[in-house]
Amino acid sequence: MIRYLSRRLLLAVPTLFGIVVLVFLLLHLAPGSPVTGGGESSRRISQRAAEEMRKIYGLDRPLPERFAKWVVRVVRLDFGESFVDHRPVFDRLREAFPYTLELNGLALAATLLIAVPLGVAAGGRPEGPLDRVSGAFLFALYSLPSFWAALLLQALFCIRLRWLPLYGVASDAAPTGWAGLQDQLAHLALPVTCLTYASLAFYARLVRASVAEARQADFVLAARARGLSARQALWKHAFRNALLPLITVLGLVLPGLLSGSVIIERIFAWPGLGRLYFDSILSRDYPVVLALSLLGAVATLFFTLIADVAYALADPRVRDGTLV
Amino acid sequence: MISGIGKGTASLWRALPGSGRAALAVVGFLWLVSAASPLVSSRASEIRLEDRLQPPSAAHPFGTDDLGRDLFSRVVAATPLSLTIGLTAAGVSLAVGFLVGSLGGYFGGAVDLVLSRLVEVVLCFPVLFLLLALAAFLPPSPATVILAIGLTTWPGDARLARAEILKARDLDYTRAARAAGASTPRILFRHLLPNVLAPLLVSAAFGVAWAILAEAALSFLGVGLPAPATSWGGILSAAPAYIEVAWWMALFPGLALFLTVSAYNLLAEGLRRASTERT
Repeated sequence: MIRYLSRRLLLAVPTLFGIVVLVFLLLHLAPGSPVTGGGESSRRISQRAAEEMRKIYGLDRPLPERFAKWVVRVVRLDFGESFVDHRPVFDRLREAFPYTLELNGLALAATLLIAVPLGVAAGGRPEGPLDRVSGAFLFALYSLPSFWAALLLQALFCIRLRWLPLYGVASDAAPTGWAGLQDQLAHLALPVTCLTYASLAFYARLVRASVAEARQADFVLAARARGLSARQALWKHAFRNALLPLITVLGLVLPGLLSGSVIIERIFAWPGLGRLYFDSILSRDYPVVLALSLLGAVATLFFTLIADVAYALADPRVRDGTLV
Repeated sequence: MISGIGKGTASLWRALPGSGRAALAVVGFLWLVSAASPLVSSRASEIRLEDRLQPPSAAHPFGTDDLGRDLFSRVVAATPLSLTIGLTAAGVSLAVGFLVGSLGGYFGGAVDLVLSRLVEVVLCFPVLFLLLALAAFLPPSPATVILAIGLTTWPGDARLARAEILKARDLDYTRAARAAGASTPRILFRHLLPNVLAPLLVSAAFGVAWAILAEAALSFLGVGLPAPATSWGGILSAAPAYIEVAWWMALFPGLALFLTVSAYNLLAEGLRRASTERT
């Protein structure tokens, strides 16, 4: 297992380097040079912002030197100042982060709470009535554009029925205590629903497939032969084994959530990282765009590694080195 | 399944499950609508402010938008754009993915190590982050949208192509071609590509659905196609501002989008089943 893990960690080093290079290239993708160049971006950048860019990226210097200096700053989490309000980029990220965490944490929890039992139940009886109905339903959800669903839910629950607020984090005159919590939950309901349904199909189908496969495995048949009921064999044996593939994809949860957040946070005026990213793209706030892309990708790499380690710990074949 | 496509649509039709046939029929219908769409293009752009924000009626089956344009004509007129962008973007993704994946899978070793890292790097970024950056920073045009979508989704195709080539590169027909002195490009495109085409086509069909969604999302967010080009996402982008008075502006363009995306996904699923059951 040590061999497996050290190989995995070593391979992450060039990937990390690649991420940093790609983000750096993203900056130079903008029409002309990011500071002086032509295109519409130049008009939107103020003189002061241009000076700031020049300082941070040393644009008068040759490319490799610029890259090295940029890396040194980034390693110290120094992303410079936002062009929009001239505050440190890191502060803006820190302010938006809790909102995104709240929204996506709830959505992820809701997704797994629904997807895992549904997938196990459907996979326990492939082609059974539950499997067919949930399969068709999940397939429809999978094809449903989240921004359209969000609009329809708003039209129904916020305008026609007047049950929920249209957007925002809390009401303007937010009540305190119990009523305040209710108010917050009402604001969370639709965005969490939209983020949840969007990833539901993927996870439920994954769990279903691995449970359906594990059901046929020798160890489950053996458990049945020892006299365990179908339900016991399913939940105690097939289910545990079926969780393994779930661990590996959990590493890639983060980019999916961040992608979903961009659209949902925009529609529901949620002041999280997704909306910050989108606003920064529109206002050409390069330091924020770069910082968010870089941190998002590095965090994903980190979680993928954790998932791989967890997988190695959970799978005895990897643990004892018989499977690499 | 390859022979199914090779020998024409009849055997493909036979290989598809019922849902896949229905999906193929819907896709065919959508392309017909798209071919007929020039008939409504003048009506789609006709602004009549006195008719603005009218609910659905006999004269305007989908209602009218904030400028009094007939929404039905607009949705029909947007069909070719959404369909073509979906198809070409998925094509770009497949081409790049096949090239990167097959080279890595075929050569293995250092080439594979480097190309696999490249795939991993792109996969680490949230797709929409890259998509937005490419679409917003490159000059706005249909080509930009197609490239942005293709260049962010290819890692999936690359992983698939790599795994398939890895399986096929040491089979007898590949070794025979190599022994006969065939060049690497010839082996890759002439011998290996046709044999790994089936799973790649399934992935491409899912890719078309995804690309149509991605284009709609970009246009909805306002960084997609520049005006006056209109896609379903572009029509939808006007809906939030009028959500309190004109629900039909949100409902109908989205319905067209949903129908198209489901049809391609269902077709892909049918192709997947047809190809796995045959082998």
